[in-house]
Amino acid sequence: MATIVNELSYGDAPVKIRADLAGAHARAWRRLAEPGVWFDGATRVAIAAETRNAASCKLCAERKDALSPYNVPGEHDSLGDLPDGALETIHRIATDPGRLMQSWVHGLLDDGGMSDAEYVETGGVVVTIIAIDTFARSVGIEPPALPNPVAGEPSRVRPAGAKLTGAWVPWVAPEDRTQTEIDQGLYGEGGPFIAHIRRALSLVPAEAIGFFDLVENQYLPGREMRNFGEEYRAITHSQIELIAGRISALNQCLY
Amino acid sequence: MQLLRESSRHSGNDIDFNAILGETDGDVGIPHADILVEFTEAVWGDDDTRLMTARKEIVGVMGEDALVDASGITATFNAIDRVADLTGIPLEDSKAEDTADLREELGINVFETGNA
Repeated sequence: MATIVNELSYGDAPVKIRADLAGAHARAWRRLAEPGVWFDGATRVAIAAETRNAASCKLCAERKDALSPYNVPGEHDSLGDLPDGALETIHRIATDPGRLMQSWVHGLLDDGGMSDAEYVETGGVVVTIIAIDTFARSVGIEPPALPNPVAGEPSRVRPAGAKLTGAWVPWVAPEDRTQTEIDQGLYGEGGPFIAHIRRALSLVPAEAIGFFDLVENQYLPGREMRNFGEEYRAITHSQIELIAGRISALNQCLY
Repeated sequence: MQLLRESSRHSGNDIDFNAILGETDGDVGIPHADILVEFTEAVWGDDDTRLMTARKEIVGVMGEDALVDASGITATFNAIDRVADLTGIPLEDSKAEDTADLREELGINVFETGNA
């Protein structure tokens, strides 16, 4: 049986990290190295490594400075472990997310290099490593060394209820979940209204579930998010939302 | 932004939403807004000295737990913004209606996802 070889721990951090937050990071770290739905563990770790590598890509820097990134051709500086479509996906999400376009996504998918579900899983890995690395930078610790991949095959199960109804990729509406997806925790305790952001990665339910495990422990669970009568963190709701709003403005994200 | 407005309504504090654009001169209606905005900008940027100073300021004024919780928020939103961008999810109608005036006032409608 495959075993986890690297456990993420914040025992040596210069400040005390909440146990729930550290636990969520440890689970995300484990998930990063394990076989996913469409990729094996080695590919998932390679996506995480390439996400880090994108920060020093010359093409990405040129595109970032250009009026339009779509007018700057070239090749990404890569670690050489992934195909071109994956590189373009990872580098653009990592370095210039605010200017992604639907036509760009469809171009990647139409080229035949990846399926819509592989695109979503790639994105899920990218945002997981970005969350963990941003936390490390914020709190003042080195980004952790990437985990060793866990052997095994991806499950290759596409959600039966996924439909293209609002976003650029299909999502699973709450009413279209299977009992298995509900049991796995897709949308957690959410009621009939599930925010679009929670649905966004649901074409690969494990990514949606895993990412929101991170979100709820770093930020707040949904119910606490809207309970303004009580404070759950060392900073208030308004202070939390100020940081959220500021970083979203810097990322040029309207959502 | 919708949740910032809701927290403002609940607390009765009059919040200056220009703070999310980095404008924190004067009283913006959120305690330590200037420290938190400086920290957020430093995390997002690449000036390590600026970030070290910002961290010290948070710890000194608000405590270590505040640094950890603020770090959880920068981590969340630096990632979640990308989830929204990579999937092209639309803003929910209720959020769009509730924040239309603010988005217009702050001039951030230009950030709308690229449906082209």
